[in-house]
Amino acid sequence: MSGNIEPGTTEPENKEPENIEAESTAPGGTGPGNKDSAGPQPEYDASTSETTPDAASGSTDETLNALSKKPKGRRNWLLALIALIVVIAVSAGAWVFSSLRSTPASTGTVAKSVTIGLKLAPTNLDIRNESGSALDQVLIGNVYQGLVARSSENKVVPAIAKSWSKSDDGLTYTFTLNTGMHFSNGDVLDANDVVWSIRELVDKQYTDADVLSTMKSITATDDNTVVITLNKPYSALLWALSGRAGLVFDKDASYDAKTQAVGSGPFLLSSFRQGDSITLTADGKYWGSDKAKTQEIIIRYFADDNAAVNALKSGDVQVLAPITENLASTFSNNDDYVVKAGDDTDKFVLAFNSKGTSTSDKRVRQAIRYAINNEELIAARGGSDAALGGPIPSLDPGYEDLTDLYPYNPTKAKSLLAEAGYSTAKPLTLRFEYANIYGTEIGDQLKSQLKAVGIDLQVNVVEFSAWLQDVYTNKDYDLSLVDHNESHDFYQWADPEYYYNYDNPKVQELYAKALAATSDEEEESLLRQAARLVSEDAPADWLFNYRVTTARVKGLSGFPVNLNQSLLPLWNVTMRNPA
Amino acid sequence: MLAVVRRLLLFVAALFGMSLLVFAALRILPGDVASVMAGVNATPQRVEALREQLGLNRSIAEQYGSWLGGVLRGDFGTSLLTGRSISAQIGVRSQVTFPLIALGMLIALLIGIPAGCAGALATSRPARQSFRAISIIGGSIPALWGGLLLILLFGRGVGLIGILPSQGFPQQGWQNPLQAVMSLLLPAMTVGIIVAAGIMRYTRSALNEVMGSSFIDMGMACGMTRRQATLRIGLRIIAPQLVSVIGLTLAEMITGVVVVENLFALQGLGSMLITDVGNRDLLTVQSELFLLSAFFLTIGLVVDMLHQLIDPRLRAVKGGIQQ
Repeated sequence: MSGNIEPGTTEPENKEPENIEAESTAPGGTGPGNKDSAGPQPEYDASTSETTPDAASGSTDETLNALSKKPKGRRNWLLALIALIVVIAVSAGAWVFSSLRSTPASTGTVAKSVTIGLKLAPTNLDIRNESGSALDQVLIGNVYQGLVARSSENKVVPAIAKSWSKSDDGLTYTFTLNTGMHFSNGDVLDANDVVWSIRELVDKQYTDADVLSTMKSITATDDNTVVITLNKPYSALLWALSGRAGLVFDKDASYDAKTQAVGSGPFLLSSFRQGDSITLTADGKYWGSDKAKTQEIIIRYFADDNAAVNALKSGDVQVLAPITENLASTFSNNDDYVVKAGDDTDKFVLAFNSKGTSTSDKRVRQAIRYAINNEELIAARGGSDAALGGPIPSLDPGYEDLTDLYPYNPTKAKSLLAEAGYSTAKPLTLRFEYANIYGTEIGDQLKSQLKAVGIDLQVNVVEFSAWLQDVYTNKDYDLSLVDHNESHDFYQWADPEYYYNYDNPKVQELYAKALAATSDEEEESLLRQAARLVSEDAPADWLFNYRVTTARVKGLSGFPVNLNQSLLPLWNVTMRNPA
Repeated sequence: MLAVVRRLLLFVAALFGMSLLVFAALRILPGDVASVMAGVNATPQRVEALREQLGLNRSIAEQYGSWLGGVLRGDFGTSLLTGRSISAQIGVRSQVTFPLIALGMLIALLIGIPAGCAGALATSRPARQSFRAISIIGGSIPALWGGLLLILLFGRGVGLIGILPSQGFPQQGWQNPLQAVMSLLLPAMTVGIIVAAGIMRYTRSALNEVMGSSFIDMGMACGMTRRQATLRIGLRIIAPQLVSVIGLTLAEMITGVVVVENLFALQGLGSMLITDVGNRDLLTVQSELFLLSAFFLTIGLVVDMLHQLIDPRLRAVKGGIQQ
């Protein structure tokens, strides 16, 4: 088969000296004389002598000449052609190689430019309207900054506000801002911009405005102080402000937010090529102490995993996140690369429609949970993901290991199904719809695991937008799978309107109490209780907690490994070329 | 002259029909751009507000009217998602796709036509069989697999003879022509080999047919060898058919190269279409499809005109009528 490829691969080199192919065939061209062309294609001689002895009488001499030359001429011609192609290929290769290497990275120095490979590309830059973690990932902390920020341990840390205090009743938050701040366009950043940004968010109902639904007022008492008052205590306020809700925009700047970004962060957004790349340039006049260490960071997006791996191998990118565990193995065995999995809040939620025709029966839902072998799913993906038994991942408040609630137990699954009235004579058929971004393997694995206990899973892999319509909006499904990657998203289980259709007043009450808690300990303990209740009710199976694998070249440092699909501060990234 | 006018009228009518068809077909898709933008954490009120803001609540007729009006003025609109002018977006993507197709076609012709001639002229049974086998195997290589093989052979940092970039298009685009061509070589070869097999097969069978005709006998009677007659007269005779096939193949390649674009991480028209359909950015999709169909129809037009140029018999007939 590979022999078949070779004629093709040598062709492009022939492009420069086009004469090789062109001359040998001369299609409709000037027509080479008989003597020239007699050599290369001796087959004609046989046919002329066989079929047209009389018609060819005019050229009998040439025919005879050609016949006599045939064996030698053919070999010489072939040899010459092969030699020529080899020479051209080698010289072209050498030329290309040298020209591509003409800008070598000098060794032992810090690189001025670093290229990063990511997967999910944002469609536009409008972080106030467009959902999706791809925007949080590249813009928050790099171009835009929030009132507060998140650390790589998912804790709230200072950003535009250098400190804050909370009143004992949990209703008033006072933020003290840094001084001397400005946006990349030179405009001063003070308390007025903070207040304007958050009021805009609420007034115009931008993405995530609902997290501030308990806010009563926001005021600037002076240029460096912002006071937020609430109608009722809301323990997740600070965390919410570390995301999109707390972002501070320049109230005086006007720009097209879909294609440009003007913020106060350590980087300027210098180019955005949709679906392809984003270029960040260090802002030399950045106000903070976390100044960018690398002059230029290019972020490239790879829809195809193999292309991404090739880019890392060829040195076109210095780091890849995420990389699938199976593809990462080529790098983990190589001393030039470092491969590491980071903690994350991605929950692969296999939701069971709690109001579905058969899944409304708790025994059916429990049976599915017993029938699923989570360890096997994790192993098939390479083994770096973490088992997860409930709705709260380890980086979020209220986490507790709940994996022993529904251990893998097909016998128990079968007996629960029998109790619910299903048997081999009357098997249970379930529709399973999920978006094609998660691949087909996981559907196949679940189908075969559930088949073992007598459930016939009809897998339907669709486009994300079709999933949004069928499952998310119309709630017309039995089973569905989504990677819910956001942190602090327990509200989904306390909202009976959410697509899970899960309605447990006790959980809703506990969650409301947790939000109203005034101390972190109280909040965590209430969330823990609520999460356990949810998991016991089995409205879903949390297949695993996806941990993102990052592969980088050895000289690169400062690239975040934890949470890097939604939080990717790049100011600390440096690339030291190997000496 | 009349024929040309009729041909152009037909062209416009076909475009109008296409616009209706494309618009209607896209409305059947489930889901809309507002829910995609809002994501899985949005309240239904927010989705509704976005829908209002994006003008998705207008009646179908109104939407079609405003779109077609824009198209007539040469304004294809602004993408709801990216906020950029759709024609500019298509322009950027075309800088990858069209050179890729042209290069792929060049490679295909350089391999396909000579190989097709050789196949037709081969006389021994084993030679003919092996040419046939090559064309069948070449045509059935999946682009994905062929591309991966080429990367393993020539991909920089990956392949045995790692000299060519295996992914991406240079940031500077065509301002850096050498790198731009380099980045397109491997994908063009991948496409070229597959297309070459088709052209080879076509050339061979068309030549075979001609070889039995009296043109060749005539040529040989005038002193040409059989091979000369085939190459000089036969090729000339099948040229119009070849041009038709090449035209059709070109049109096919625009969307057909999407697999290759993905494999080599090139941002071309094919991947743009797929992303936009996935995001339900229908305004962009319908403008893209409209322009693509205009392109297909133009190719048809060009092929027709080329026939007139290449085939003197057509001109002769026409001249005869005029006299």
